Amino acid sequence: MDKEFIAKIEGHGRLRINWKKNKVDLELFEGERLFEGLMVNRSITEAPWITSRICGVCPIAHNLTSLKAAEAALKIKVSDQVKELRKLMVIAQMIQSHALHLYFLALPDYLNLDSGLEISKKYPKNFKDALTLKEFSDDLAEVVAGRRVHPTTTALGGFHRQPKRTELIELIKKAKNALAAGEKTVKLFLSLKYPQIETPLVFLSLFNGKEYAAYEGDWVISNQGKKFKIKDYKKFIQEKIKNNSTAKFGYHQGKGLMVGALARLNLQNKFLNPLAKKYFVLNRFDFKNPYYNNLAQAIEILHFSEEALKLLEKLSKKNISGTQPANLKFGSVKTGIGAIEAPRGTLYHELKADKNGFVAYANIITPTVQNLTSIEEAAQKVLESTKNLPQKKREQLLEMLVRAYDPCITCSVH
Amino acid sequence: MTRNKLKIAIIDLTDCEGCQVELVSMKEKLLALADNVEILDWRLGQKKKQNGPYDLALVEGSPITREEVKILKNVREQSALLVALGTCATLGGIPAMLDKEKRKSWYKKIYGSKYKPLGVDAIPLSAIVKVDYLIHGCPVRANELERVLGEILAGRLPKALGYSVCFECKAQGNPCRLINKKPCLGPITQGGCKAICVSGGEMCWGCFGPRRQHNKAALLKILAKISKPEEIEKYFSMFWQRLENKHKNNKKQKNG
Repeated sequence: MDKEFIAKIEGHGRLRINWKKNKVDLELFEGERLFEGLMVNRSITEAPWITSRICGVCPIAHNLTSLKAAEAALKIKVSDQVKELRKLMVIAQMIQSHALHLYFLALPDYLNLDSGLEISKKYPKNFKDALTLKEFSDDLAEVVAGRRVHPTTTALGGFHRQPKRTELIELIKKAKNALAAGEKTVKLFLSLKYPQIETPLVFLSLFNGKEYAAYEGDWVISNQGKKFKIKDYKKFIQEKIKNNSTAKFGYHQGKGLMVGALARLNLQNKFLNPLAKKYFVLNRFDFKNPYYNNLAQAIEILHFSEEALKLLEKLSKKNISGTQPANLKFGSVKTGIGAIEAPRGTLYHELKADKNGFVAYANIITPTVQNLTSIEEAAQKVLESTKNLPQKKREQLLEMLVRAYDPCITCSVH
Repeated sequence: MTRNKLKIAIIDLTDCEGCQVELVSMKEKLLALADNVEILDWRLGQKKKQNGPYDLALVEGSPITREEVKILKNVREQSALLVALGTCATLGGIPAMLDKEKRKSWYKKIYGSKYKPLGVDAIPLSAIVKVDYLIHGCPVRANELERVLGEILAGRLPKALGYSVCFECKAQGNPCRLINKKPCLGPITQGGCKAICVSGGEMCWGCFGPRRQHNKAALLKILAKISKPEEIEKYFSMFWQRLENKHKNNKKQKNG
């Protein structure tokens, strides 16, 4: 038996397993880009443009969170239409990211394939659903945000360019196709057999009490019955710096926490749209098993497709107006905190502007940073509960576990 | 015929992975491409990982850590062609905004004084190895990717587009930002992006790199009427921070 096994995980990271000592260590070694430093002394209006470059898989999430932080700092209120268009951006982001993860990265594990590209040949019908979801979410991002990766249309207070009514009407058809593909995605992921482990999970998610919160929400709630104000984020999320990791590790009250699809589904399921709710209610969800995060992502694809259709039908009734960017006034030092639900969980940006509107301080806590401790804890649990299995199987289970969390290493080392 | 398939590696160094997301966004075109090549190594896309020699290596990201510098040199040795994918690889990208000295102080501020950083400096690939072609863009655009890969598959070394962003911007029907007293680097930036940022309402920050034989002095004169000197400096530090030095040190490199 090898003394050590190094599991390959997404991005520049590894899970080091010492069989003898029965111990796992998560190590991340992506180069530090120092986003919190490079924004300083640049205009706060550039922050959303810059932070979207933290991650090519969830650029919209970073863009919007910086916008919210800057707007909070400068006390800019946005119109309902701006909020609705931004919600469409969040939806595009969720479907883009979840579909890419589920079909391209997670499914090959469950179907025993080498690559996501192989699905096109061996499971062409499923692959078609993946393409339908990808195409709809990319098109939605392009129409509203200007580009499928890094947005170009967004600005403090509104949008440089508003989508045309005809573009929104065109998207309704595609949203209906996405909804059908989303339902098939749920059925597919319900048919998979998830490895069984039991580990206590502490969930946190944004909350607003009126909808499945992703863009709007002043609170974060936990499955321990606690409620926190966003502005206190540094009190309920602590970050630890480790020697063997270029990413910090997140903690909630001294322990690991889990954010993302499974957490949202646990805390916000009563706000799911009807079809997504139907599938959620009919099937037993195991909230002590992080492998179920993949199924939660599938349910969310369906929920957000339903939400997209609702919003598109509403917004396409008349021409979009009143979404122009705000006139900016600086003059004093101001701090703002923004939070949204990114695909992988709650994302926090804090921005401080000096009296000339330049960034004086920036702080970012990404979902993956919050999940890192929980990944390590759950991996330890898998290691302890699979002692009777062959080593190869244990290695596979550990790699699948890390993948189930859908970690974004590039985000975590920002 | 399997034997004639081009052997490819897709390697990513420190970056946001957005250029690979664009690659995946080619969808059916990517599948058609995958049928014509053999991908020996692609961390994001497959489990299979084989060493070279490669006919073509696409390298995304900037070699920020020492380990990445080693990886890059190794890939260069194994590859007939090495193509830089995206602005982090071609120009250093957003992380290159901070120079080596500034990075040192930010490591301390962000990670504390005890932390031993892995990163050294955010530099373009060409600072370390010979690069055969640059596919610029933050992120790259799928249509440009298709054009360049098509050329390589046909056995030709692609040529950089000889026109600026303005050419494509006019074709998109956008009003000129500079005439409307809004900053823009379009006139001196190489085309290929279809002016996607200006079409969305954002300025052109020059992520496709300088167009050959551009007239920066003329643009600076126009910008001076619109913006303060410190603002103009910021326009060029978003993506062009490392350009001046690079041109001095590395004239051999084929411009892309």
